[in-house]
Amino acid sequence: MKCKECDMENIDGALFCEECGAKLDMMEPLQDTAVETGSGSQLVLTSRDGSKLDIPAKDEVVIGRDDPVSEVFPDLDLTDLGGMDSGVSRKHAIIHRTGAEYTIEDLESTNGTYVNKKRIQPHVPQAIKAGDELRFGKLALAVQAA
Amino acid sequence: MANELNIRCIMNKDALPVTGAEQAVYALVDIKAGGKKAFGAMPANFGLVLDRSGSMDGEKMNNLKEAVGYVVDHLGDGDLVSVTIFDDQVETLIPNQPAKNREAIKAALAKVIPRGGTQISDGLRAGLAEVKKGHSPERVNRVLLLTDGQTWDDEDACLRLAEEAGKQGVAITSIGIGEEWNEKLLLQIAEKSLGNSHWIQNPIAILDAFRQEVEGMQSVAASNLKVTARMSQGVKPVRVFSTIPMISDVSRKAVRGVNVIADLGTLDGKKGQAVLIEATAPAQKAGKFRLGQVEITYDVPSQNIRGQSIKTDMFVTFTADAAVAAKVNAEVMNLVEKVSAFKLQTRALSEAEAGNIAAATQKLQAAATVLLNLGEDDLAKAAEREILTLKKTGTLSAAGTKKLEYGTRKLTQALTDQETGIRHAEADAGVDGSDEIRYYA
Repeated sequence: MKCKECDMENIDGALFCEECGAKLDMMEPLQDTAVETGSGSQLVLTSRDGSKLDIPAKDEVVIGRDDPVSEVFPDLDLTDLGGMDSGVSRKHAIIHRTGAEYTIEDLESTNGTYVNKKRIQPHVPQAIKAGDELRFGKLALAVQAA
Repeated sequence: MANELNIRCIMNKDALPVTGAEQAVYALVDIKAGGKKAFGAMPANFGLVLDRSGSMDGEKMNNLKEAVGYVVDHLGDGDLVSVTIFDDQVETLIPNQPAKNREAIKAALAKVIPRGGTQISDGLRAGLAEVKKGHSPERVNRVLLLTDGQTWDDEDACLRLAEEAGKQGVAITSIGIGEEWNEKLLLQIAEKSLGNSHWIQNPIAILDAFRQEVEGMQSVAASNLKVTARMSQGVKPVRVFSTIPMISDVSRKAVRGVNVIADLGTLDGKKGQAVLIEATAPAQKAGKFRLGQVEITYDVPSQNIRGQSIKTDMFVTFTADAAVAAKVNAEVMNLVEKVSAFKLQTRALSEAEAGNIAAATQKLQAAATVLLNLGEDDLAKAAEREILTLKKTGTLSAAGTKKLEYGTRKLTQALTDQETGIRHAEADAGVDGSDEIRYYA
């Protein structure tokens, strides 16, 4: 199997290129298509292994991780994706939806929210669209059109 | 009987495509303490081997004395402790004895005055001799070596001592302070003795490192931990990495023909242990295929358990369904990616050392890209800074090398475990009152 980045020949089934570290043999995790406009457009979040998280059809969706002790149950729980070890706060960020437009706002999370590798200011909503990469602490998720 | 330890063996894919050719497979062997009561019962036999060379004067020595005070205060009365100090001469300040003599130990330490040069092997030899006096399989036998300087032409002697210590079940935790010490040597001392290693930039963090060490010893759930993987016909192990407390390439010792035998030392009951095996599987027709069997063996001396064994099989299914074969296990994928960053960093550093600037630059760039994908912005930036330094000066910076060596090895640590550049967030808890650990940007 040839690496698309550096042309190095790797053994079939290798996950990363031995020469340059590029990802091999993977489903395409990112989709570059722009979000369709108009009502009913939906976004999903995709983790690096390909599992999908639907963004619930609500105007405001809190992202974080469940904590029964302090009774925090965000709309989108990232615990199963390793949220704890990746530094996801219990209430980490919120996605606002207005018609077909989506924005993300950091809720003063401990380890920060990033859009396309840039840390966003707390409480300053930033527009997101399909093709963007979000990161909560160290947990990266791709935004895709549903 | 409930097992003291739990073992999980997870493949990178449950299903591999039928390709008619050999292909790579990855197995994660994850070992955790089983019951809550299974650990914490082993008394310690702890040897501190401390650099008192002239350069330790001031803040470093003051923090070191405070940290040793913490250690003796937090060891139990039944624990053993010894303190060996070295410059170019060695002094056994506290011979191996019960830790209950706390005030006497602190008083002896208070009198230490920095002086002289750094000769690590003499200090290590004397410190190991003290630990040997109290050596017992019932105890957690461990040495903590701390230095801030380059040793004088005795690296090989240090490595031989480390190797010997590892064979006798004495792990060495090596700690370097500042930037003027040989990270390669300290990392090898740790790896050869199945220990851990830390880089401390600011002397104020010495206490935290010592605290972690004491807590680590008090959480030991099992000793003599060993992973053996016996492969089925045609399956070939290629490389083996232990991953906790840091990523370490153990292939040279562990890959033995068609089998893998990895000695892992003690198991920290809180952190567990994980081993990544990279192997190749032969061409197969569709159907279930047994790659091999994994066995872990261990002792739990406090419960009089020796040579206990747990076995599990490694299976994959070969399938012609491309969609099924495309599914990858996220946990294994993430670990393989971290190991990939570690490999690239290691190659970059050895290319730089050999004076191959172009190759080193290329590997550093590749490492930076992988680190960014892992969300490790800080380490990625360090790699990029080193590319510039390399272009300008033809060598890497001392601090940058240490950051990359230690940073990529410790990618497997949870944010909550990383010891440098983090602090508890209680003092300035966010709106959600979060108690998670914060790391500095």
